Amino acid sequence: MRDVIVFIEQRAGAPRRVSYELATKAQELANALGGKTHGVTAGAGASQAAEATKAYGLGTLHVADGGATAEYLIDPLVDALEAVAKTAGPALILVPNTMIGRDVGSRIAARLDAGITSDATDVIVADGRVKTVSPKLGGLTITTCAFKNAEYGVVSVRPNVFAAKPAANATASLENLALPSKTYAMKLGAEVEEAAPELGVEEASIVVSGGRGLGGPEPFTTVIKPLAEALGGAVGASRAAVDAGWIPHAHQVGQTGKTISPSLYIAVGISGAIQHKVGMRTAGTIVAINKDANVPIADFADLLVVGDLFQIIPELTKRVEAEKVH
Amino acid sequence: MKIVVTVKLVPDTNADKRIDPGTKRLVRTGVENVLNPFDEYAIEAALQLREKRNDGSTVTIFTMAPESGKEIVRKALAMGADDAVMLSDAKLEGSDVAGTAHAMAAALGKTGFDLILCGTQSTDAITGELPGFLSELLGVPGLTYVRKIDSDGTTINAQRETDLGYVDVSVSTPALVSVTKAINEPRYPSLKGIMGAKKKEISVLSLADVGFTRATGNDGAKTELLELATPPVREKGRVVTASEATEGARAIFDFLKERKLL
Repeated sequence: MRDVIVFIEQRAGAPRRVSYELATKAQELANALGGKTHGVTAGAGASQAAEATKAYGLGTLHVADGGATAEYLIDPLVDALEAVAKTAGPALILVPNTMIGRDVGSRIAARLDAGITSDATDVIVADGRVKTVSPKLGGLTITTCAFKNAEYGVVSVRPNVFAAKPAANATASLENLALPSKTYAMKLGAEVEEAAPELGVEEASIVVSGGRGLGGPEPFTTVIKPLAEALGGAVGASRAAVDAGWIPHAHQVGQTGKTISPSLYIAVGISGAIQHKVGMRTAGTIVAINKDANVPIADFADLLVVGDLFQIIPELTKRVEAEKVH
Repeated sequence: MKIVVTVKLVPDTNADKRIDPGTKRLVRTGVENVLNPFDEYAIEAALQLREKRNDGSTVTIFTMAPESGKEIVRKALAMGADDAVMLSDAKLEGSDVAGTAHAMAAALGKTGFDLILCGTQSTDAITGELPGFLSELLGVPGLTYVRKIDSDGTTINAQRETDLGYVDVSVSTPALVSVTKAINEPRYPSLKGIMGAKKKEISVLSLADVGFTRATGNDGAKTELLELATPPVREKGRVVTASEATEGARAIFDFLKERKLL
């Protein structure tokens, strides 16, 4: 493996932040491997996304915009990545650990007979070999894996673990990737947006989550969201809140939801049972607010405030907002 | 339609698991294997499709697991599936996701299917990569993260989750679909279902039975585990009891300042 190829996930011309994180990391890895860096961006708005990614220092950005890439799910993205991988030769391929990224990563790995490691929180080159670090079993153990018997290695990288830094001398060249015109199996139909565009819990560096203690759906809007917004973070939820139908599943943190590593996690009215803990225990700092001092989260939160969340959170939101003005 | 649901046996998700620092393996004492919770949604989706179609469609449970996992497969049958196929072979031990997908694809190709339903991920490995891998190897559409599904027998109409909502996608069978927990509420096995499951057929296939010739286990793996480390245990932190709002808010505010998070 010499070159490093990054799959730039984007939506309507806007790259996901994790794409910038991977682009930034790719340069460091390629330097260690003695290879070049490539970005692959495909789908509607790919050219615009490539322009936006340029600043993050990739060598070549391969662009497949419009046509089939905009009309079909996943398959054309895999074709675009395959075309670049075949030209580059043995390479390390980075994809984000997101819904789209996991699909693209697993499909390209199957196609290239590559090795694949998932949910990496670090990628290292040592003695010319790529090693990836991933928490497994809900953070119970940290595995370090390497590729073997494979020309290509695919890594799905957890968002929010690498910094996104514009490169000092970014000179990325944009290249049009001509894909054979083709129809695919999975035709995209109408897209329905049910929520306002907002930062997802996977990518946010601050997450404010609500649980059973909220008692209903309204406090997510009146209590949790204002604090999340004041902190510039995202809204998360426990399984209890999601199962009760108070908030969509996309917000769920935990075993049957998302596993995240924000720098700050604020658990509001969440007891912190094991199935929730495994989704957030790798957070930098954990703050909990609960009316009960004898909840499981008391054993691993860095700060537990025992009190009435309906009074404390709005007051905290006010303070955070006042702080921003200064 | 012949619907096949892939399931995995995983360590009990509610047990607080730990790694033995000496052997670096999961301490299995007191931790039973259960059906991967995500797979229950796939089973339920399959049963609902069969009931709705009411045209002689069948639901087969498929798993790659040692034969000792039979009792857990029976739980899936108790929910209402018609029969089960297990791919059991000692040579599969130590397989990585690529090796697992290759072996499963060979067996599923042999079993035949119109529709494969999968859970989105397992609660132990949590890679979420098997559905994509399998669909690529089987050469069928891999429609993942589905929260609503319907079929007229030859076309699958589905809603695939996106970060903001969903997108409609249609595919023709044969196809593979992975479903999220938003799709349904899995049923509990009834007493009748549990009794009936005892008589249902669980056929066990070996790698030779499915004509699998690729290298398996560690030899066939494209990845190797170099190291297992135990993460530092999170210590119990500060506890502040706040009798009124200002006190509680200040405690958090000061703490965030102290940690330079504000």
